[in-house]
Amino acid sequence: MTATQAPEAAVRSADEAVFSVRNLWKVFGPKADRVPGGEHAALPPAELREATGCTAAVRDVSFDVRKGEVFVVMGLSGSGKSTLVRCLTRLIEPTSGTLAIDGEDVLAMDRSRLRELRRHRAAMVFQHFGLLPHRTVVDNVAYGLEIQGLSKSERRAKAAELVAKVGLAGMEDRRPSQLSGGQQQRVGLARALAVDPSVLLFDEPFSALDPLIRREMQDEVVRLHREEGRTMVFITHDLSEALRLGTRIALMRDGGIVQLGTPEEIVGSPADDYVREFVRDVPREQVLTVATAMRPALAGESERGPAVRPDATVAEAIEAVSRSGDPAARVMDAGRLVGVVDRACLLDVVAGTAEPAVTAPAPDAPDGPREVTA
Amino acid sequence: MATAQAGPPRPAAARARRGPLAALRARPAAAKLLLLALVAAVAVPLVHGRWGGGIWPAALTADLSGPLGDVTDWIVSNRDSHPLFLYFFGHISNAIVLSVRGVYLVLLALGWAGVTVLAAAVAWRAAGIRLALTAAVSFLVCGLLGMWVPTMQTLALMTVAVLASVVLGLLLGLAAGLSDRVFRVLRPVLDTMQVLPAFAYLLPVVLVFGIGVPGAVLATVVYAAPPMARLTALGLRGADAGVMEAVTSLGATGRQRLLSARLPLARKELLLGLNQTIMMALSMAVIASVIGAGGLGDRVYQALSSVDVGAALAAGIPIVLLAVVLDRTTEAAGRRIGAEPTGPALLRGWRGWTLAAAVTAAAAVAGRVAGGQVWPDDLTVAIAGPVNTAKDWMVDHLYTGVPVVGGTADLASHFTSGVLNPLRGGLTGLPWWSVLLIVAALAWTIGTWRTAATAVLAMAAIGVLGVWEPSMDTLSQVIAAVAVTLVIGFGVAVGAARSERLERLLRPVLDVFQTMPQFVYLIPVVALFGVGRAPAAAAAVVYALPAVIRITTQGLRGVDPAAMECARSLGATPGQQLRQVQIPLARPSLLLAVNQAVVLVLAVVIIGGLVGSGALGYDVVFGLAQGDLATGLVAGAAIVCLGLMLDRVTQPTTRRQRQES
Repeated sequence: MTATQAPEAAVRSADEAVFSVRNLWKVFGPKADRVPGGEHAALPPAELREATGCTAAVRDVSFDVRKGEVFVVMGLSGSGKSTLVRCLTRLIEPTSGTLAIDGEDVLAMDRSRLRELRRHRAAMVFQHFGLLPHRTVVDNVAYGLEIQGLSKSERRAKAAELVAKVGLAGMEDRRPSQLSGGQQQRVGLARALAVDPSVLLFDEPFSALDPLIRREMQDEVVRLHREEGRTMVFITHDLSEALRLGTRIALMRDGGIVQLGTPEEIVGSPADDYVREFVRDVPREQVLTVATAMRPALAGESERGPAVRPDATVAEAIEAVSRSGDPAARVMDAGRLVGVVDRACLLDVVAGTAEPAVTAPAPDAPDGPREVTA
Repeated sequence: MATAQAGPPRPAAARARRGPLAALRARPAAAKLLLLALVAAVAVPLVHGRWGGGIWPAALTADLSGPLGDVTDWIVSNRDSHPLFLYFFGHISNAIVLSVRGVYLVLLALGWAGVTVLAAAVAWRAAGIRLALTAAVSFLVCGLLGMWVPTMQTLALMTVAVLASVVLGLLLGLAAGLSDRVFRVLRPVLDTMQVLPAFAYLLPVVLVFGIGVPGAVLATVVYAAPPMARLTALGLRGADAGVMEAVTSLGATGRQRLLSARLPLARKELLLGLNQTIMMALSMAVIASVIGAGGLGDRVYQALSSVDVGAALAAGIPIVLLAVVLDRTTEAAGRRIGAEPTGPALLRGWRGWTLAAAVTAAAAVAGRVAGGQVWPDDLTVAIAGPVNTAKDWMVDHLYTGVPVVGGTADLASHFTSGVLNPLRGGLTGLPWWSVLLIVAALAWTIGTWRTAATAVLAMAAIGVLGVWEPSMDTLSQVIAAVAVTLVIGFGVAVGAARSERLERLLRPVLDVFQTMPQFVYLIPVVALFGVGRAPAAAAAVVYALPAVIRITTQGLRGVDPAAMECARSLGATPGQQLRQVQIPLARPSLLLAVNQAVVLVLAVVIIGGLVGSGALGYDVVFGLAQGDLATGLVAGAAIVCLGLMLDRVTQPTTRRQRQES
């Protein structure tokens, strides 16, 4: 749907992982290190607190962040997503597990190595901006470079360039308190970009902003990703934001990952009832592609109807079909017919009655035309 | 009951079923009092049978005058020979004398023109053009009143004391701000130091350093450093966690985090600390005239001891002007932080300061050339004479026999005979154990068992020190003055909370009154009421009122507007709103106001010893004047205990919680 879903990012293999996380735990509370792998490890949160007095903010999480992708971690508040992203640069010290950046063990790093990681390899954008109120915009953006020991003229030049890049040209000498929320977050973004990190970490960066500004900032992130192809880890509690930005989405609940997949997989084949409930109101036709909705072409259908690509969204196919007046659209991949989406297929997606083969049909959808999905 | 059983169980019915123990748990105050009554029922007959009632039993006192006398004798005889004094205190003392002397000489060298321009220039850079004018005019008035030299003496002493306080406070504050353990240890100490009357600090330094400038400076430093330390620590600890996390996430080292983020984020608190330190230093530098500080305070002190109101006023006005200028300038500097720089670009930053320095130098040189280093004698206005004439007129016409209201002296004697005497009689007449019980009951119901324990122990310590009677005398004055303060204060505050106009009228008055040093309040009350216990109480009331009015007004106004709106929408009358919504919701502020009233009143009642209020304050003054340090030290210790007790008795639990967060 956007350039963030560039196909080449999806086919990269795991050995190109920027972050590689295995069995990561973060437990808060007394004797926290006894919980992972212990007898209480599998208990639900309330019982765990009862038994040990501990809270597992992140429990047994494993995933890879691939180079160039936007990896979205999404979940409701308290699901552990903010703790998880802080564990990546050890702003919060993980309790157990392994964590590597570009193949290098993060948990084994000493102080100076860890500082090096924070200075050059992973920069973070925060929900509440975290700007220094006594510095001007340009000095805030240059702060990361100042920490690294760059000379004043060097860092000023670099900062001015980034201030312009995030669209704040002319506001260099303002103070954060004189900016709107959206502008402040642009400063936060520029500050993170200024150190030219290999990964950008976003912790709910737009949650504190108005809906319109939020949309604008999301477009900004999409644009930056398209232009630079930088790897991003994006934390959000907003499903539509996750679907808009994410190459892949990890859905968290009670500290664990419930499902990890592309937006289409999350919406199209929810792993359990929790995820299904979560994605229930998503306009499916805007997320699902015709590749999942098509059926094999019958005789005589290969000639008629508008052509759509397999990765076009169902919404786009609907538009094509209704414009042309034909009963169906042909799904063409590189000039080859791979299938057909007729009006029934498309309507099934919109109505939510077209369950992919992997999941059982929803009980509350009794009279869907079964022959399409079967 | 039938309906209660038929319907869902009501809370009241449920509570009744849970038995008396649960009912007590629901009302902790009643439970505490019940427990205390039980303890009393067992202990009182035993104690009473053993030591009897009345004032603190002699059998339970420890006479410290002997050992203390020995210690003072030893110190006095060894001051010039013992290595501890020669190589430690001696050096400190010399350093202080030298630096005060140095600053004083610089001020003299600048001449009156130079100093005035310097003050104006600093005020201009820090706070703007209006305060620059105020500063210049204030210094000129000091000269006009013939007080130039004493003003410079006080200023020199204060400069040294403030510098030392700020350095000391910053170091302590840094340690407490960065280390949790230091903070936990330091905070109760600093909190307690802030509630102790200034007089309590005088005796110990006199013991070591003798009467003179070094002791005065050290007493000032000890008194003025705590707010700096406290606010530095609070500022550093209160740094926005989000900003600190962002700074860490960029890979800052510990030093970078402190210097580029944590300290700048605490700038407001640091400047507030500086402001409070300066004000406390001025207050103490004036009081320290009792131990030989010289300067303006000394003039007031000398004038008051001969009831020369005119001379006292001539020295008191410069003190007030200094206080106002110093307070407004540092406060405005704090307000300007984070604001955009204003004014023409030519005058910003170092250029402005350079210009200020150049103008000052020019003024100093010009003054020197004109031969006017010392304020010219023929340019002074002697106000002492006219003021004393006015005062004599007041004595003749206002002291007695004014129709309807009676005279001020009549008022004072009525207050003494009608309120203070019965109160003192009652307190000394109470069995000593019952005083302890009352203290425990009050402190425990308002605060926690910890505050109650501290209060009772402090009270008992007073008894053990053998100064039960003068302490009861002081306590009676405090209680009477606090009562008057609270009645007036709450009344005015309720009015100010309701009327925007009254609050606007009050604000500048309160501002000025809150900046004046305690000592200054003694001057007008002596003029109005003569000397004695009533004038001291009156000074205490005037000194404590602004804080009480301010805290209470803010508390009443800070009540959640939604709750007020709700009450109005239900048709509550203004009286109902006040009784049922504002006062209950503003309870923490009201308790804080009571606490502040007690602490401030005590401070002035003690100083009242200088104008004949007797009791503990007089013991300190007497000890100093007669060189009988043992008496003074015991009285000083009793003042500390009394201050601790009064603070803990009125210390609401919420105050601690609020500081915690």
